[in-house]
Amino acid sequence: MLNKLLFRNQDKKQLIIAIVGAFMGITFLVTSVHYLIKVNEFGKGSDILGPNTIIVQKKVTNSSSLNLTKTDFTDREIEKIKSEPFIQDVRPVISNNFDVSFETADPMVPRFRTDVFIQTVDPKFLDVKSSKWHWKEGDEFVPIIMPRDFLVMLNTFMSASGIPQISDELAMDIRFKFTLKDDKNKEWVDARIIGFTNEVSSILVPESFMEYGNTKYTSGKEKKVTQIMISGKESEFGLVEDLLQKRGLESKNSQMVVGRLKSVVGTLFLVVLGISVIAVFVSGLVLIQYMQLLMSRNAYEVRTLLRIGFHPSIVIKSFFRYFIKIFGVVSGIALLIFFIFKFFLDTMFESGGLYIDTSISAVAIGSLVFTYLIFGFASYQTAKKGIFKQY
Amino acid sequence: MKIVLDHIMPVPLASIQHAPDSIWGNYVELNSGKKILLNASSGKGKSTFTLTTVGLRNDYSGVVRYDDRDIRTFTPDDWALIRQDKVSVVFQDLQLFPDLTVGENLLIKNSLSPVFSETEIRRMLERLEIDNKWDQQCSLLSMGQQQRVAIIRSLCQPFEILIMDEPFSHLDEENTQRCLKMINERCDEQNAGFVLTTLGDDHKFNYDKELKL
Repeated sequence: MLNKLLFRNQDKKQLIIAIVGAFMGITFLVTSVHYLIKVNEFGKGSDILGPNTIIVQKKVTNSSSLNLTKTDFTDREIEKIKSEPFIQDVRPVISNNFDVSFETADPMVPRFRTDVFIQTVDPKFLDVKSSKWHWKEGDEFVPIIMPRDFLVMLNTFMSASGIPQISDELAMDIRFKFTLKDDKNKEWVDARIIGFTNEVSSILVPESFMEYGNTKYTSGKEKKVTQIMISGKESEFGLVEDLLQKRGLESKNSQMVVGRLKSVVGTLFLVVLGISVIAVFVSGLVLIQYMQLLMSRNAYEVRTLLRIGFHPSIVIKSFFRYFIKIFGVVSGIALLIFFIFKFFLDTMFESGGLYIDTSISAVAIGSLVFTYLIFGFASYQTAKKGIFKQY
Repeated sequence: MKIVLDHIMPVPLASIQHAPDSIWGNYVELNSGKKILLNASSGKGKSTFTLTTVGLRNDYSGVVRYDDRDIRTFTPDDWALIRQDKVSVVFQDLQLFPDLTVGENLLIKNSLSPVFSETEIRRMLERLEIDNKWDQQCSLLSMGQQQRVAIIRSLCQPFEILIMDEPFSHLDEENTQRCLKMINERCDEQNAGFVLTTLGDDHKFNYDKELKL
C-alpha cells in the first residue's frame, strides 16, 4: 500500500530514458572492462618474456658494417629511452664475454656439441618462478631458457641420426652441459632446460652464472651492450614503435605484431570503457534526479506518513528499495546481454586469430558490483536527504 | 502520560494581548484520562496549539514536555513511537491521502500498530454511516465524510491523549454526537484523554476541564 501511495502516477518517460541509458552504459562497461583485461592478459604465459616486453637492437646498416656507426648502447642512450613516459623499464641484455660451448650429457641422447652464445636479462622481465631461476657456484646444474629454434634444430639432428624426436617436456629432462674455458682453464657445468622462448635467439642463463663466467673466463675484450629489453606500458605500444623507428632500432617482428595488436584492441576498449563510464554516470544521475522528482511530487504524502507515525527509515527504505530494484533488474539484463555479446565477440576474435582467454573476468563482474554499490549508496543518501527535508 | 506546556508563547502570537487565563504564557498540564475542551474564536491559535503540542511547529518560546522530557530533544525514533502509541491527532486539514480509498487510508494507519481488524474498522464506518464509502477515493468524499474518516483513522491506534483540531466543523449535530460518543468510548477503553478544540460550541459534552486561548 505504501508503494501504491508513493509510486503512483509517475511520469515514466524520464524513468525509461534513465533505464535505457543505464542498461546501455552497464552493458558496455562490463563488456569493455572484460575485454580490456582479457586483451591485456593475451600473450601472458605463452612465452617466458613478459607480454609487453621486447628485445631490441640497433639496425645493422652498411655504415655500421664498416665500423662507421656503433651498434652498441651507451648508458646515456639507455637512460634516455628509460625516461620516456610510456616506457616502464629498460635493461641491458648482457652477453657472454668468454668462450662457451654447449653439449648433450645424457646417455639416452647422442652426443651433440656446439659453440653457443649465451645471454642474461633482469629476472623481472621473465615470466618464470624466481625459485627456479637462480644459480650459485657448486649447484647441481644451471637453469637455462632455450630458444625454441634450438629445439627444432636439435630435433632435425635427432631425425637425421635416426633417433626419435623429443618434445618440450622431454627436452626438460635431458641433461646438458656447458664448457667454459679460456687459454689456461676449462670447466664443465651441468645445465637443464626450464623453459623455451620464441623471442630470444640465444640461450638465457641466470645473471649469477653470467657474472661467474665473465669474471673467471673473461676474454679481456670490452663488454658491449648490443641488445636491450624494453617494457612498454599497456595500450601505448604505438609510442614504443615510434621510438624504435626514431632511434633506428629493430625488434623481432612477432613481438611487434602482438604488441601492436594488443595496443590497438586495448585502446579501442579503453575508449568504449570511457564512454560507458560516462553513460553509467549520467544515467545514474538521471535516475537519482528522478527519485528527487518523485519525492518532491509526493512531498504531501511523505509528510503525512511521518505525521501519522511512520518512521522516516520506513519511507526512506521504500524509495531506496524501489530504485535499487530498478537498477538491479537493469544490471541483470545488462549482464545477460554481456554474455550474449561475449559469445559473439569471442567467436569473432577467435576467427580473427586472437585467441584470448574466454573465462569471465572477475574484474568485469567486480565493476558491475561496484557500480551497483555506488548507485545503492547514492540512492540511499538521496532518499534520506529527501525524506528528512519533509520531517 | 502528561503533556506540559510550560509558558509557551508562539512567535506569531507574541505581539497579541492574551487573557490572563489563556494557555499562552501560562503553565498547562494535559493528562491522559482527562477530557478537555479548548474553546476559542478564530485566529487565537487553536491549530498552533495542536501543531506545537505534537512537535510539528518549533517557533515558540517556553518548553513543551512529555513526561518531563523537552520535546525539542526528541529524535525521529522517539516521535515515531509517540505518534504510533501515545498521541493521536485529528488535524484541521485532516491530512488524508486523497488518492487512496477510505479503506486504504484507514488500513495504512492501522498497519503501524494494529488494533482493529478490517471488520471492526468497517463497523466503525457503519456507525458513522459511511460504510458504503470503503472503496471510494477520499478526494471524492464531502468534507463532512472526510472528517469522519479522519476521526476513525485517529482511533485506529493505541493512544493516551487524542488531540483534535476542530474535528466537527463540517458535521451536523447528529453526526457530531455519533463521533463524540465513539471517541469517548475509545478513550475510556484505554483510559485515555482528549483535547477538543472548537469555535465556541461545547457539543453538550461533560468535560473534565476547559482551557482558553
